[in-house]
Amino acid sequence: MPLARADLESLLRTRRLDRTLTTALPPLDPAGIPDDYACAPTGHTALDARLSGGFPRGQLSEIVGPRSAGRTSLLLQMLAAATARGELVALVDALDMLDVASAEAAGVQLDRLLWIRGHVVSNPGMCRDLNQRALEQAIRAFTLVLQAGNFGIVAFDVGEAPMDAIRRLPFTTWMRLQRLIEGSQTAGVLVGSDSMARSSAGLTLRLGIRDSGSARSAPPSASERGWGPASIEKSIRFRGRLFDGLDMEARVIRARARYHDDVRVPLSTTCA
Amino acid sequence: MYACLYRPPALSACGDFSHDRRAALSGPPDRGPARPEVHRGERPALQPIASLAAIAQEFSPRYECHRDDLVSIDVSGLERLLGPARTIGEQLRRDAASRGMRVHVAVAGTRMAAIVLAHARPGVTIVEPGGEAEALAPIAIGVLEKAPAAMPAGASATRDAHARHQRAGVGPREKVKDIDEALESALAAFKAWGLKTLGELAALPSADLASRLGRQALVWQALARGEDVRPLVPTLDEERFESSVELEWPIEGLEPLSFVLTRLLEPLSTRLERRDRGAAVLHVLLRLVTKDSHARRLELPAPMRDVRTLRTLALLDLESHPPAAAIDRVAIVIDPTPGRVLQHTLFTRAQPTPEQLSTLVARLGALMGQDRLGAPAVVDSYRPGAFAMTPFKTEHPSTSFMARGAPPPRAEDLALERRLSRSGDGCLTSLVSAVRRCRNPVPARVAVDNGRPVRVTTDRRGFVGGTVVMCAGPWRTSGDWWNATEDLRRPVLDTREGNGPSASGAGVGPRAFNKDEWDVALTDGAVYRIFQDRDTDAWFIDAIVD
Repeated sequence: MPLARADLESLLRTRRLDRTLTTALPPLDPAGIPDDYACAPTGHTALDARLSGGFPRGQLSEIVGPRSAGRTSLLLQMLAAATARGELVALVDALDMLDVASAEAAGVQLDRLLWIRGHVVSNPGMCRDLNQRALEQAIRAFTLVLQAGNFGIVAFDVGEAPMDAIRRLPFTTWMRLQRLIEGSQTAGVLVGSDSMARSSAGLTLRLGIRDSGSARSAPPSASERGWGPASIEKSIRFRGRLFDGLDMEARVIRARARYHDDVRVPLSTTCA
Repeated sequence: MYACLYRPPALSACGDFSHDRRAALSGPPDRGPARPEVHRGERPALQPIASLAAIAQEFSPRYECHRDDLVSIDVSGLERLLGPARTIGEQLRRDAASRGMRVHVAVAGTRMAAIVLAHARPGVTIVEPGGEAEALAPIAIGVLEKAPAAMPAGASATRDAHARHQRAGVGPREKVKDIDEALESALAAFKAWGLKTLGELAALPSADLASRLGRQALVWQALARGEDVRPLVPTLDEERFESSVELEWPIEGLEPLSFVLTRLLEPLSTRLERRDRGAAVLHVLLRLVTKDSHARRLELPAPMRDVRTLRTLALLDLESHPPAAAIDRVAIVIDPTPGRVLQHTLFTRAQPTPEQLSTLVARLGALMGQDRLGAPAVVDSYRPGAFAMTPFKTEHPSTSFMARGAPPPRAEDLALERRLSRSGDGCLTSLVSAVRRCRNPVPARVAVDNGRPVRVTTDRRGFVGGTVVMCAGPWRTSGDWWNATEDLRRPVLDTREGNGPSASGAGVGPRAFNKDEWDVALTDGAVYRIFQDRDTDAWFIDAIVD
């Protein structure tokens, strides 16, 4: 007797198989009111509106993009919004690059931020495996925080780590982390130069400097980009003798069954 | 029959027993957590309450410590053992004298009468049962002020409860103050009415008194009549929470030790729960096969009694501080503290419990190092990138969904909001520009033309560099030259961990800095914050705008 699709999905849920096989995504609120239980708002009005509330909870999401694309600005804004809601947040700073003054300027309530600083050294010399071990150690710290649960946002920042070091991590790492976070109220956020987890149910947001109407779709490489000074001058704002900010664009490149159209949101940063 | 021991302040043998009213309202003494003997270097000086309680314990198990200097004892039945009431009173006085204390002793048929008489009359006072009101009648009404801790339910019991809550940090201080003020106003009213003795107060009609001063006035009148309004509540010794086990075979690893710890902690946790106590400090005492002892002391951030959490914390601590040899005896001692009262609501978001956070912080500390985690804090410094680390609090106030918006904005935040908001409707449409700090500035080669950087390159992997498209600067920053020693004024590429007060090495002052900073946009599309050290003219990449 053939099983109905509903039965099959029920069985899959019971076995906690991957959500790519089930329709476990939270339904979008028809009234358009963001649900704080389903999503972690970023605090940026336009972005939250286009993301139907923010980053999904219980999923691993990503903020990727090249250097100076606004990844840290957006992450700090998310943390600030979460701490303003009374949530506890954690940041696994694998390369120990958080600027505390920037976090405070973004509005993060610092006493609600658990900051875990990685051991990566800038010049490992002959000990080339040193930083790889430090990266694995940061992953373990990330795992512990996810296991503790009940954090609003847990971020893993490897924005300046070389991608080959990320790729050397066991391929099951991200799947294991995804299984850890599933069903919790935590929004996991990975910050990197390129997509790492490729979570099907999570959200991958690529940031890039606005250039001829589209965000960069490739990892940073000056030669590949072939940017001219004109396009850079258009995206980076200097005002007199002051750096003023960046004009960039956020583009959703992966979010299963949530957005049917190409979601692009212009963003800009301003010096505090 | 009740006896009361009162030690007046002038006769105190040790300690400061100033009869501050607030101290008088403190109720039963808080003896604090029991300490294990192994950590007790020397016995503290004998406290007066310990002496009075010791005297009381020798006469009856039913005694109540009202204050440090006031104990009432139920001596019913002692007549058959010691003799009449006077003999009991004399025996109590002699016992106190043998301990170096001069006390007032009163024996009466009611506890309240004994307490008042002990305050009012020196030496030994004996009142036969039934004669309490008569004995109290000539006493000045001001004695009520001296014996408030013994007041029954209406006043003292409430006050004691408030004082206990106040010590536990769960009660408002204002309530104790209110009761204090009520007593003062009542005494002022008695004085205005011309009442001078307890007998005059006792003779007033109760209904009229209550209608004028409230129900609490009846309590004072009962005291003046020598009537007990509440029974004696025996003071119990603070229970010691310790457990130990001798092992038949020594154990070496932590894994078998975890089973032993569980076995020891489970009954302790049950006892803590029965007494509504939590563990404030956990002592793990290990006796090694080398006859040495290995003691660890864990100060817990919040009262807890969860066996799994306590075991995990103990194991994580032992993992980072392992014993030098195999273990043949394990003992656990817990310093108790009043239990934590949590009231969850439907309107607050669930947060990690203190137990979860304590375990998490301990695990992360074991993994990353204690100095690598915490809550960041800004420091009052002009040094770029300066910060401090503070311990991450494990208890945070819950935020109601009703007020889950941002906290009241500061003036500077409002100014920033105005700059960031561009839609005109107050919505945030712009982000605050952030930077990523290079804790160790990256040495760079910078070509300068007309005093401005035109090209930046480095040898560091990941920092390609390029031609400067736009730049802004310079901004000169310097500092810490005023408190740096000569060798420290030499600019170094030191780690920025030394910038924060918590991370700076002991005895080493902050290093001087003197630099010109630039923000440069390079052809690789990134914006860097670079600086030139003005003492060495060397260039470095300090941060990346992101």
